[in-house]
Amino acid sequence: MGIKRTLLFLFFICGVIEARPISYSGGSTVMSNTDNMRDTLYYHYSPTYKYSLGLEAIKDSYFNTDYSYFRLTYLLNRKNTRFSQRNLYFQSGVSSKGLNNNFIGVHGDWETRRWFVGFGYKKVSNDIIEYDDKFLQLGVAPYLGEYGDFHTWIMVKSKKNDLLESWSTLPVLKFFKGNFLIEFGYNNKTEWDSHMMYRF
Amino acid sequence: MNKLIILGLAFMISYLSFTEESMHQAHEGHIHGALVDGSNLDVDPERYKEFMKGLENCQIAVVSVIGMVCDFCAQGIEKTFEKDETVKKIDVDLNKGKVLIAYSKNKKIEYKEIEQKILSNGQNATGLKVININ
Repeated sequence: MGIKRTLLFLFFICGVIEARPISYSGGSTVMSNTDNMRDTLYYHYSPTYKYSLGLEAIKDSYFNTDYSYFRLTYLLNRKNTRFSQRNLYFQSGVSSKGLNNNFIGVHGDWETRRWFVGFGYKKVSNDIIEYDDKFLQLGVAPYLGEYGDFHTWIMVKSKKNDLLESWSTLPVLKFFKGNFLIEFGYNNKTEWDSHMMYRF
Repeated sequence: MNKLIILGLAFMISYLSFTEESMHQAHEGHIHGALVDGSNLDVDPERYKEFMKGLENCQIAVVSVIGMVCDFCAQGIEKTFEKDETVKKIDVDLNKGKVLIAYSKNKKIEYKEIEQKILSNGQNATGLKVININ
């Protein structure tokens, strides 16, 4: 499989877990997400490590519509220790469909080089309905690579969108090397749930 | 229900944060080269040796950093310091929480400046030692 076909394949399967919503000062990030509800492509720029501004294009399969969000993410709290980092972010977005179409939420994570715990909660409003979207995620790195190595994470993610009936839990694999990260999970109810990120 | 989930996660994060920190403190020791003043450098000796290859007539800043947990942290720090023309070489050791920066001899190394650059990447500098290489 050629490089272009491989990249196209990766973009196709990429999904929802939003790793690192803010970059370092002056850093840019492109993310692609896909799950059973929507496909998104999100670019954000971080003027400082405290916040990022971005634009997210969404193909909404559930409501069968396309729109964009102008997004702001703000780092509410960070605690650095010798072996860990804990973050709490505020997230918001206003849709191209108007101010009544928006979301607000929080996203938190705690990670060491071995362990990861994350959660997210969003309240989404549009012209038709208001609903909640939330997830929890736990992960472990089976080995600790050096900086620049190929890194692997084994994770479990549980998510619930109020538009759907119940929580769904899926195993997730995350790989990253250099500037590039890919994460994907699958279960037979919600099918593919994946995420890809490139930072520059 | 949402509040319970968030409270549960907050508790779990606090607990894991505590146990991870305790575990590393228990295992870690000061194992690496001492400076002339007797203080400990606490860097990986092999990594330090590799870093020093080809360097002469410069100063090495050994910066202790907290909050470096993945390659993205390391990349950000590298990119930030590489913008400085007086920086000849940089190495980030995630295991030891150390950043080695080789500066030109004429550079006046100031902790405040380094601390600010590390902070602009979202981590915190906690110490600096400078070694002169002739």
